Amino acid sequence: MSAVHAGAEFALPMALAGGLALALGGAPLGVLLIARRMSLVGDALSHGILPGAALAYLIAGPDPVAMTVGALIAGFVVAGLSSLLARTQRLPEDAAFAVFYLSALAFGVLILGRNANAEVVFDLLFGAAKGLDATALLISAGAATATLFALALFIRGFLAESADPVFMRASGLPGGLLHLLLMLLVALNLVAGFRAFGALMTVGLMMIPAAASRFWARSYVGQAGAAVLISAVSSGAGLILAHRFEVEPGATMTLTAASLFALSALVGSNNGLLQNLPGRTHLEG
Amino acid sequence: MSLVRLHDLTLGYERRPAVHHLDGAFDEAQVTAVVGPNGSGKSTLLKGLAGAIAPLSGRVDRSGLKPNQIAYLPQDHGVDRDFPMTIGELVALGLWGRRGLFGAVTHQDRHRIDEAMSAVGLSGFEDRALRSVSGGQLQRALFARVLVQDARLILLDEPFTALDARTTDDLIALVKRWPGEGRTVVMVLHDLDMVRDLCADTLLLAREKVSWAPTEQALAPENLLTARRLSEAWSDGAGICNRDHAA
Repeated sequence: MSAVHAGAEFALPMALAGGLALALGGAPLGVLLIARRMSLVGDALSHGILPGAALAYLIAGPDPVAMTVGALIAGFVVAGLSSLLARTQRLPEDAAFAVFYLSALAFGVLILGRNANAEVVFDLLFGAAKGLDATALLISAGAATATLFALALFIRGFLAESADPVFMRASGLPGGLLHLLLMLLVALNLVAGFRAFGALMTVGLMMIPAAASRFWARSYVGQAGAAVLISAVSSGAGLILAHRFEVEPGATMTLTAASLFALSALVGSNNGLLQNLPGRTHLEG
Repeated sequence: MSLVRLHDLTLGYERRPAVHHLDGAFDEAQVTAVVGPNGSGKSTLLKGLAGAIAPLSGRVDRSGLKPNQIAYLPQDHGVDRDFPMTIGELVALGLWGRRGLFGAVTHQDRHRIDEAMSAVGLSGFEDRALRSVSGGQLQRALFARVLVQDARLILLDEPFTALDARTTDDLIALVKRWPGEGRTVVMVLHDLDMVRDLCADTLLLAREKVSWAPTEQALAPENLLTARRLSEAWSDGAGICNRDHAA
């Protein structure tokens, strides 16, 4: 089993560049998701992309482009239908996601059940170092470029829609479309990372640095910057560790991110634990 | 001259009316109060005027208005206090109507935001985080956003609830200036003294129209008594409203 035998070799410089691209695209989205109280939507979407990848695997074999396209289609369908259902039927968004990602997962089980071995499933969920190839680098760089471009264009809308959706609706502004675009970007970034780091571990690189960034900055831009930095360090250190000790990079990256989160929660300049110890002096005004 | 006309308007949720067969018009550059007991459909009417909900039947004729000429301050503002945003950024959202998704914020816009912040007494609060201000300060900021929107129709749903006397006085002074600037104001209020002081016209609502007239006339004792008697009509066994078929 390639995933468990570990030690799969990969070219470190290329992997580092790919990890950096994932950090650049994913972390700012993670900050937005947390601000919208949708931290677990990334998780739901990451399960949702599996049937697409699995179907592509069945049709085309382990072809990276086919699997990425399949995952992307599945991710867009789950994100699109969930957003649509939540907006039109007054259903809480997480409930809508639960309906569609679980359905997608069930499709994945049906498709993979008889046709694949445990190794393929493991690779899809948790990643495999062998997925760190030139194609993966191209895809993650493409996703990061598209994400940063979309953020630059629509950031005003994303922030307004997140902070005050009622105002957006009353002003006749396209809040629903912006929300859908955000979900599609999340799906795109998860798909970009899933072959190398696994559908589940890629979420870690998006969400854990975003959660940690709250301990360093108050504004969105500050938090997004901190999240990118933490995410980039996590992916870099995680990859170096994985390369050095011949273990799977998805796991080392996520654990590095978790360690940085703990450190941020402790010493962070924005309400870190050490700042709020009982008995500390308070400010004048 | 009326700015917004209601034609046999029924608004509600899940097919149940909250405002039932309402006809009338809101005059331009006038402050109209919407008064009535709890559950009488006041907030629903404002949502309908803002276009936030679609009528169950009848229609709201806003043909003289573009969507970006309406400012709506709901009772339960949907602002997420934990969102990483400053008061200045919240107020700047009022520019949306004119600048849209991509428009640049001009020097004039900045000036406009500064003026609005100062008008509601929040100068110096621009960089404060949403979570660090009080409920009253947030309400002031939302008023500032209404100012920045520069709207022709302003809809306020119980805007002074839970505000201290000084904040209320400051904001009332702003509202009083609006008719002179040609703005039309529709405002849900409970304090009848405030209604008499602020509003030329009053719509007394108890799901249906009890009275829609100059304030003193609308708030006549017999009208208030009628409004109080009209209790909730919500019933599990409610049949189909026949007036819908007649219309």
